[in-house]
Amino acid sequence: MPSSNSHHNSANAQVNHIACPDCDLILSIPSLAVNEVTYCTRCDATLLKNQKNSINRTLAFAITGLILFIISNLFPLLSLKAIGLTQESSLLSTAFALFQADQPLLSLIILLTTFVFPATTLVGTIYILIQVKTNRINTYTAPLFRFLRSTDAWGMLEIFLLAILVALVKLGDVADVIYGVSLYAFCLLILSLSLLSYSLNPQDVWNKLRDKQEVSI
Amino acid sequence: MTTARQMGLISCHFCHTLSKLPNDIDEKSAKKQTEIICPCCYSSLHSRIPNSLSRTWALLLAALILYIPANTLPIMTVTYWGEGQPDTILSGVMHLLAEGMWPLALLIFLASIFIPILKLLTLFGLLISIHFRANWRPKDRTVMYRITEFVGRWSMVDVFVIALLVALVQFGKTASVSPNLGALSFAAVVILTMFAAHTFDPRLIWDAMEDDSSGEISAK
Repeated sequence: MPSSNSHHNSANAQVNHIACPDCDLILSIPSLAVNEVTYCTRCDATLLKNQKNSINRTLAFAITGLILFIISNLFPLLSLKAIGLTQESSLLSTAFALFQADQPLLSLIILLTTFVFPATTLVGTIYILIQVKTNRINTYTAPLFRFLRSTDAWGMLEIFLLAILVALVKLGDVADVIYGVSLYAFCLLILSLSLLSYSLNPQDVWNKLRDKQEVSI
Repeated sequence: MTTARQMGLISCHFCHTLSKLPNDIDEKSAKKQTEIICPCCYSSLHSRIPNSLSRTWALLLAALILYIPANTLPIMTVTYWGEGQPDTILSGVMHLLAEGMWPLALLIFLASIFIPILKLLTLFGLLISIHFRANWRPKDRTVMYRITEFVGRWSMVDVFVIALLVALVQFGKTASVSPNLGALSFAAVVILTMFAAHTFDPRLIWDAMEDDSSGEISAK
């Protein structure tokens, strides 16, 4: 066992310091003003940020996003009119079209990146932030938040929006493209999702979880 | 310049909570005995991502192999009045150029050809540099890693375009688009390189710096 003194010192270091996630350098945690961000002094990684009212704002954007996500899925995003026929596409029907075209794996990738992960991000974020706000954190909160953080890169709706623009240009001179009602909702959804990830400060949620853990010990 | 590992601390990968390594047990033997659990978020703690190098190598090589069918096999076939025309990634870009849609050609070129090659080369270079314990510009290498991690997912745009065209252009014999195996191979390359970037631990770049002074072997 180490002496009580050295134990005390390292316990202090644990609370007042942070290790850079990219280079492992130990840095003391500064007090941050609103909208201030700290970077690692050695490798410039973003360490911590102080977002004003981050939990409330993120919750607002997540709820807005969820409503827009539902609207985006109710109506077609795009329709194509040619030789008297109309073809419609929505988020789910795009994945389904690939399944019908004998590409089940590709269909699964589209389903996960454009539907499942964005939906879990929105619902999961709302669930966790409500738990944090109402102090009803349970043993599943931390693993769920970890899951959301690690699947963050796999929701690819903003890339899908870029693909819609590319498809519009490609098809524009061949056939009549009709913008669906959902396309407007979808554009706003991308805006909400960007604002959500901008306003979310994961450290705020972790700090709440850490405080809760210390109280229970 | 002290790292968490030199202080006997482990930073949680998710919540950045610092935990103490168990007394007098170095990480290698501790890993064999018991898992260390983060007190804040209950994740399993590791000073460095376990087997980061071998996992990244494996994923990178798999991506490299699939890169061949992704570029040689057609990604989709456009059938127009009964005549099918299969397109590979490169021929798709060429068609766009021929039709005068150069902004679109540039976009697809960047997303489908430039970024994947950049990503494969960067990860390859990073892995090699760690194997040789290079001291060369660790900051720049970390920045390269961050760029790779950030831009990689945008390569999926071509896969989504194919999916949209398949869903929209279904007019029987007049005009239809069907997906081909090249599209799946390409999606697999993007996904595998995303996983490769994720399992790569940038802290290994910086470990070579401390190894110089302490003579400790850590990258393996």
